[in-house]
Amino acid sequence: MYDREKYTIHRISDYKWEVQMDRTLGMEVPGIIFSDRKLLEHARNENTIGQVVNVAALPGIVRASYAMPDIHFGYGFPIGGVAAFDPEDGGIISPGGVGFDISCGVRVLRSNIEADDIKDDIRDIMSLISYAVPRGTGRGGGIRLSGKDLDGILSGGVDRALGMGYGFKEDKEFIEDKGSMDDADPEYVSQTAKQRGSGQLGTLGSGNHFLEVQAVEEVYDAGIADAFGLFRKQVLIMVHSGSRGLGHQVCSDYIKVMQRASERYGIEVKDRQLAGAPLDSPEGKRYYGAMACAANFAMANRHCLAHRLRHTLEKYLGQSAEKLGLYTLYDISHNIARWETHKVNGDSRKLCLHRKGATRAYGPGSSSLPPQYRQAGQPVIIPGNMGTYSYLLAGTETAMEESFGSTCHGAGRMMSRSRAKKTIDGSQLQKDLENNENIVVIADSMQGLAEEAPQAYKDIDRVVDIAVRAGLSKKVARLRPLGVIKG
Amino acid sequence: MEDKYKAAGVKRYEELEHPSDVGLRFRGRSLEELFQNAGEGMFSLITDMESVEPIISLELGLEGESSSYEDILIAWLERLLYHFEVDFMLFSQVLVKELIRSKNGYSLKAVLYGERIDRKKHSIMEEIKAPTYQFLSICRDKERRIWEGTVIFDV
Repeated sequence: MYDREKYTIHRISDYKWEVQMDRTLGMEVPGIIFSDRKLLEHARNENTIGQVVNVAALPGIVRASYAMPDIHFGYGFPIGGVAAFDPEDGGIISPGGVGFDISCGVRVLRSNIEADDIKDDIRDIMSLISYAVPRGTGRGGGIRLSGKDLDGILSGGVDRALGMGYGFKEDKEFIEDKGSMDDADPEYVSQTAKQRGSGQLGTLGSGNHFLEVQAVEEVYDAGIADAFGLFRKQVLIMVHSGSRGLGHQVCSDYIKVMQRASERYGIEVKDRQLAGAPLDSPEGKRYYGAMACAANFAMANRHCLAHRLRHTLEKYLGQSAEKLGLYTLYDISHNIARWETHKVNGDSRKLCLHRKGATRAYGPGSSSLPPQYRQAGQPVIIPGNMGTYSYLLAGTETAMEESFGSTCHGAGRMMSRSRAKKTIDGSQLQKDLENNENIVVIADSMQGLAEEAPQAYKDIDRVVDIAVRAGLSKKVARLRPLGVIKG
Repeated sequence: MEDKYKAAGVKRYEELEHPSDVGLRFRGRSLEELFQNAGEGMFSLITDMESVEPIISLELGLEGESSSYEDILIAWLERLLYHFEVDFMLFSQVLVKELIRSKNGYSLKAVLYGERIDRKKHSIMEEIKAPTYQFLSICRDKERRIWEGTVIFDV
């Protein structure tokens, strides 16, 4: 299916590789892969490089088809893929460059609690949270929304959720796009998508989604950590979730629209999942409007999950969320297309950035960052896997120049789900994590737990190390899970 | 029905290895049966089919949009997922009564048998976000006289 091994890869540095532009493969630009030799080899064997090549062949792509260090095999775009498209140059928008879980992302709440203060309570806390936060599919438990309220969430995102009494108004400043993307139009979201989403606000979902209570184990950059309000042994809460069934259906609906549009506009794609339409076409605008709705839903979803968490901790610890310092450190998505202005050959250009399994990582000085973080750079949240670590990084100037202000989004899968299921015993894993690592793990499905086992993922330390050595991010802090609720 | 497949040395459906998601191969002696097995195969990834009793039946029709067997397969699987997610239904048996290709496009009529999710009884093993177009195929194995299909689900 792909042009396996027909491409040529050059080493630029130990952490940056170029897939040579080759017109015979249809490439318009080269591919740039931030990786080390070992992970690059893995990507090659999975034939993920073929997906980087396919993206490089899309119309209006600017500079390069990028892949972040956690690159792995996706559908259409690789997971870890970043591409910018220029509307002035026939650039397209593609649902395959965003993914099914539109605005899947992460929110971190900080606190003024020290890990030692709750170490005897962690099992009770996790258990209470697990009751308060609906997870898994087909279970309900979300905030039921009227048609009008759902449309309000789709067009207004976190603003609307705040209006409904969820969360703190201060949260907004610390969310990408302030919790509400422009140009979101509920008219472009199908009834089926709305029905799938109508009972799912404030639900975690399943798969790789999770909620963790973590402790800051190590601080690497005291200055930035201070700006982010971090300190050693501090308790943090990380929520990883997305736009639920609503976003999945928006993607499904528009892949069909885009396949017809691709034919209509004469866009040749090597994989049906890559279908797209020009950014300024009616189809392109409709998808953007619907995708922005799903992103607003996702941001509101994480916002409502945070609200439920705060409420649970308030009840258990007998103090207000404000007293406990449960404020949003940052909320960012890693599956999104958004308009951004970047310098290309010295000129400022408005481009549509696609990040699929990649995180925006703006460097210091960006006006889109809250004033408290402007000198430090944007917080980048890297959820790891349940047995090891997660990281907080900061965006850099280099990322702005090298990857349109983008970096990795997680560890990236290494072992297939079916192999994980066959080789890992979920119940044993749960026991091992509890007994050996002192991590409380709550999960409904032991098979699901096995699929998300630490050994099924790439080594997060290695992935983060590559992102740092390639200059795409700065290491700020390493976080260790105390308790995990697996979606 | 399973026995006939076993005799022919093939399975009605089976999970396929995929680097990051979940794949399904499914077979049928007719296209209707192929679609049935795709539907049941998808639910076999979600839950233990043995635990689902065919208590509730639901009639379903698909018309319009699709312009190939692959397209209507995606629409069919999406519809089944919709009932799973919105109505909390699990289906252990699906019967495709009619699969028609006409000048107006492709259409399908089916009856689904199953029950509402009961967490005490049903373990939900996998959340499927959507069927994808990657490696999507439907073809006829002339030698074995069966239809065979492949779909990858985003999970």
